[in-house]
Amino acid sequence: MLARLGLRLRVFLLFAGLGAGAVAVLSLGLVFAYQRFAAPEALNAFVQAGIVGALGGLGLITWVWFLFDVNVARPIDLLAGALRARAHTDIDAGLDQTSVRYLGDLGPAASAAAARLSETRNALAEAVASETTRLANEKTRLEALLSDVSVGVVLCSGAHQLVFYNGTAADMMGAEPGRATGLDRRLFDHLREGPVLHAYARLLAAADSDAASDLLCSTVDGVRLLAARMRLLPDGGGEPGYVLTLSDVTADLAATARREALLAEVFDRIRRPAANLHMLLAALPDATGLPPRLEGALLAESAALTVAVNDLGQRHEETRGDSGRLTLTRASDLFDGLRARLGTRIAAGRGQALRFAEPPPLLLRCNGFEVVALLGILARNLDETGAGPLAIRLVEDGADALLRLEWQGEPLPLGRLENWLEGAVDPSMPEITGRSVLLSHATEVWPETTDAAAGKTRVDTQAICLAVRVARQTGPRPEPVARAVVYDFDLLGKERSADIAETPLAELTYVVFDTETTGLLPDRGDEIVQIAAVRIVNGRMIEGEVFDTLVNPGRQIPAASTGVHGITTAMVQGAPTPAEAVRAFHKFAEGAVLVAHNAPFDMAFLRRLETASGRRFDNPTLDTVLLSAVIFGQHEVHSLDALTHRLGITIPEEARHTAIGDTVATARAFLKLLPMLQGRGLGSFGALLSEVRRHGRLLKDLN
Amino acid sequence: MTDAGKHRVLVVEDEDNIALALDFLLTREGYLHDRVANGADALPRIRETSPDIVLLDVMLPEVSGYEICQGIRMDPDLAQVKILMMTARGSAIERKKGMALGADGFITKPFELKELRAEVRRLLQG
Repeated sequence: MLARLGLRLRVFLLFAGLGAGAVAVLSLGLVFAYQRFAAPEALNAFVQAGIVGALGGLGLITWVWFLFDVNVARPIDLLAGALRARAHTDIDAGLDQTSVRYLGDLGPAASAAAARLSETRNALAEAVASETTRLANEKTRLEALLSDVSVGVVLCSGAHQLVFYNGTAADMMGAEPGRATGLDRRLFDHLREGPVLHAYARLLAAADSDAASDLLCSTVDGVRLLAARMRLLPDGGGEPGYVLTLSDVTADLAATARREALLAEVFDRIRRPAANLHMLLAALPDATGLPPRLEGALLAESAALTVAVNDLGQRHEETRGDSGRLTLTRASDLFDGLRARLGTRIAAGRGQALRFAEPPPLLLRCNGFEVVALLGILARNLDETGAGPLAIRLVEDGADALLRLEWQGEPLPLGRLENWLEGAVDPSMPEITGRSVLLSHATEVWPETTDAAAGKTRVDTQAICLAVRVARQTGPRPEPVARAVVYDFDLLGKERSADIAETPLAELTYVVFDTETTGLLPDRGDEIVQIAAVRIVNGRMIEGEVFDTLVNPGRQIPAASTGVHGITTAMVQGAPTPAEAVRAFHKFAEGAVLVAHNAPFDMAFLRRLETASGRRFDNPTLDTVLLSAVIFGQHEVHSLDALTHRLGITIPEEARHTAIGDTVATARAFLKLLPMLQGRGLGSFGALLSEVRRHGRLLKDLN
Repeated sequence: MTDAGKHRVLVVEDEDNIALALDFLLTREGYLHDRVANGADALPRIRETSPDIVLLDVMLPEVSGYEICQGIRMDPDLAQVKILMMTARGSAIERKKGMALGADGFITKPFELKELRAEVRRLLQG
């Protein structure tokens, strides 16, 4: 109760109490003395003495209170107020010392504390200001840097709000360049959302901070088609933001599509007359009256034409669907996408239950968004026709996988299915119809009936089958295989490199390649199952010049090897033999320096085939393992994963341990190593070779 | 030889020149044959004549070869009719589609007559 009163009031009450006490004690003393004295006539004198004493005492106490109040209590109040003001606001003025001069050191001490507070506050403000400036400068620098790069860079929040994009991205998306302001600028004001959301969901599900996802999306107006790579931003909590790097592939794809259409037309228009001609000639009666030699020549030419058209047509057919629109997509991701799009009960239509069978671990070559959207449309249409509960399963079928949409009951007429293909697969992309999805995937869709007897069910099982090309099997990521490290000094031999010893590194043509094999022992009958290569000219990887082929090793591919590269024996049926593939590769690599990661391993396989293929590989050869040793020293790890990681190169998860994926990674590592080597003064091929040889010898000693 | 013992072949093909070549060939082989040039006429003609084998082109006006194939297979009365599909674009996936829809054989144009002859014989015997 007392504590709530002000300081000065409490001091006053204290002195008032002291006065009252003093008067009471004085009166008590006088009364006591008067009674002992026992002289009633002296009463007046006692009363007078009491009054004088009381007044004098009270006067003295009042005076002392006044001094105390003016010099102690009030200054303490003032000082407290001044300190409180400094604690809560930015007052820098010193404390008034005159009013607190009787408080001993309290005044100067408080003053010192206040001054110190003010100093600290200023230092903090300065630190914040300089840090803010630094960040602002850095951001400006980053923006300036990003505005110069030729790919579009877009930074988005988890809610798909634009946080930043560079000028290139702005041009591609048709937006104003610079930093986005306000919260109303959504990525989807510029890009169509389907493929972006699909990729985002895939990355969230992957839960791997290093994972990147490739996608293809178009601008809202549908004018441009952009290839993008999405990567989630670390940290952030909740929905993570992401970076999109964009490149405009409209022109590329249009050119590819035009070439593709031309090629298709060439085949269409040549095949028919060739077929007709051939059959008409063959149908000629025996006695035509033509000179026999002439007739023989006619028949031979027509047969050659038939073979050529069929052969070229087949090769054309195989390369269809290899276009940039198709990326490697995990079957499980595809199913996740379907589950997200359709739910376990189909949202529109009659709402039948939908069951997803666990898909086999496969990587499919497809545009995930388009395939999901197409299956979504088919499932909804089926639902509306009143088919029973649906099941979706994926079945491996040779080099393809069949996506089967199954139900039990009446078969589906093909004509109706084909009608469904005429509609857009997604409302946001009116120009992409089911038919165009099939065309871009070079595939077909059809209804199929499994008899009740064969399927061991009461009624016939019906299905819509969509074939999708299988790239490879997946599985849990295999442990890196420790390929035996071999140093083959013949590869560094002088004679094969003599001609180019003086040539600057930058002027050489390189072919970077990688092989996948049935095993690690070429001398015990292991064989190549895949070869991939890219060409580097003038320090750049040439886009269109890619060599990528499966090889039929003519033997079973052991399961352990399939676990590494995902290639099964079924997938290589119909692929060229090792000798044929090596001949084609020899042609591709003619006149170039061969580059491989751990080259002796791959070269051992090529060497073994020199007799069978009739081709000798006498190209100069470089090994990125040794180049890495030259740059990073002997004691680093020189595996491809370690090397690319050191050089900041990311390999999409799906591409690892495929010949083309590892080839591109090696090529990009090689392109980063080249300037480092030149920086070491190793400008010519000869200089590089002698340095590499030195390291090779050291490595050999270590082993 | 009387017509009774001969196999009956129906050619469903819109291109006259191919049909002409097939006409010569099938006559030489001793088959009774008939031709339909339009997809829409194929099923009624097959129901009417129930041939032993149908040489079925894929690309036809109005109704595609695939649809005709499915139509034949959905009609229990035509269970014994063999179907040999002919296409100008014989990708592996088209072959799969044809076989899934109930074709018995699949042959890519241009083909050797030998090949066609062997395929027709195989289907008629099997």
